[in-house]
Amino acid sequence: MNLDVDFMLSDLPTVFAALPSTLLLSLDSMFWALVFALICGGAQLARIPVLDKVTLVINTFIKGIPLVVQLLFCYYAVPYAVKWFDALVGRTYDPRHLPYFGAAVLALALNFGAYITDVVISSTRAVDRGQWESAYACGMTRFQALRRVVAPQVIVISLPNMTNYFIWLLKGTSLASIVNVTEMLTTARLSASDGYQFLEAYIDAAIIYWIVCAVIEWASGRLYRSAGRYLVAPNGATAQ
Amino acid sequence: METPLQILSKVVPGIISHIPQTLLYWFLPSVLALALGSLLCWARVTNRRNPLYWICTVVISFFRGTPGIVQIYIVFFGLPKLIWAIGYDVSDWTAGVYFIIATTLNLSCFMAETLRGGYLALDRGQVEAGLSIGFSRVQNFVHVIAPQTLKVALLNIKNLEIDVLKDTSVAYTIGAVEIMGYANRMIALRSGLGQLWILGAAAVIYFVMCAVLEIAFNLMVRRISRYEEVAR
Repeated sequence: MNLDVDFMLSDLPTVFAALPSTLLLSLDSMFWALVFALICGGAQLARIPVLDKVTLVINTFIKGIPLVVQLLFCYYAVPYAVKWFDALVGRTYDPRHLPYFGAAVLALALNFGAYITDVVISSTRAVDRGQWESAYACGMTRFQALRRVVAPQVIVISLPNMTNYFIWLLKGTSLASIVNVTEMLTTARLSASDGYQFLEAYIDAAIIYWIVCAVIEWASGRLYRSAGRYLVAPNGATAQ
Repeated sequence: METPLQILSKVVPGIISHIPQTLLYWFLPSVLALALGSLLCWARVTNRRNPLYWICTVVISFFRGTPGIVQIYIVFFGLPKLIWAIGYDVSDWTAGVYFIIATTLNLSCFMAETLRGGYLALDRGQVEAGLSIGFSRVQNFVHVIAPQTLKVALLNIKNLEIDVLKDTSVAYTIGAVEIMGYANRMIALRSGLGQLWILGAAAVIYFVMCAVLEIAFNLMVRRISRYEEVAR
């Protein structure tokens, strides 16, 4: 089998140099996914009329369609949106600099926000009702109870699931390569197209993704063990 | 200028006629992965001195730690080279074959971990009880271990299968023609005219397919846990 090992080794730094843009895309998307999830989860937990049903329907629909379709939809919708926005603020439409990075962030944030909403809801419900009641008994307002008693526990409980989804998201950013966003997979493809050594470049990318995911998983395990030290499960055992 | 309705009436029949392809790209990997995943799972629950355990652990870690699209590319570009080295020419294989192989490998690893979770949740007493009433190891597996493992794992398998159904849309990146491939080809043919409507139609069809799959799995969950209801 003619695997060009020399090229594979020499291309590794090139692909690795694109890791920051993949991480930036992931973190950016994760931030907006969290914002979206907190709005949807908050609406559903607080049973805000109309809004809770609307967010539920939107989330169900988002979860039923592939990320690729969402990415392409946002990608194709960008020129229309920019044209509309430019007309609104009275600017001339310039099709040369379109925010494709933003489109990818929007698609990823909506897709994963819909899943993370479930994590927010289930983690909040996992906190014992007595925690709310004891906070009220101490004279805290609803917001104080949330901020000082409940939210810290929700964050710890949701940590394993959040990490899972972050790893999914990190892997999902590779799909952004099909919508003109320069991240690791695009870089790998471009670096290989000179000599048609795609296999070698993609193996490089796979190795880097693998290492990054393994590191995140390991780090989150350590974090959960130290943060979840005081977390008591219903059966009395502390989190392992 | 065409109205959206005219665009849809031209494109939707074509999209619907490609549903069988999408279902094939979903069904074949699912069946193959159930078999391969069971084997991987079996290797993962044997004792740790077995070198097979470590090999499978590394393989599963790789397939779970890298994006599906990268695996598809690696299979697409690497497998022909590998088979060429053995001495066969597979240049007439279609892109769909590579997609099915890559998805099967990917799904097997997720399936193995899901089944392993179900197997580890199984009460050891059940295994011993089966053996004590004279079941052979095979009988014990078929009548005691497999049904209970499946029951625990089924909810996670449902999520996996829905993900696989949605991820068939990635197949178009290597040139396989299914719903997404057809939609993309139509967008290119029409020079991007009405692209959002075409993608919207594809999205609705994917959503309906996922909803049907979800309902089917929910019925299966209810059936497989029907004895639980009685006990409660």
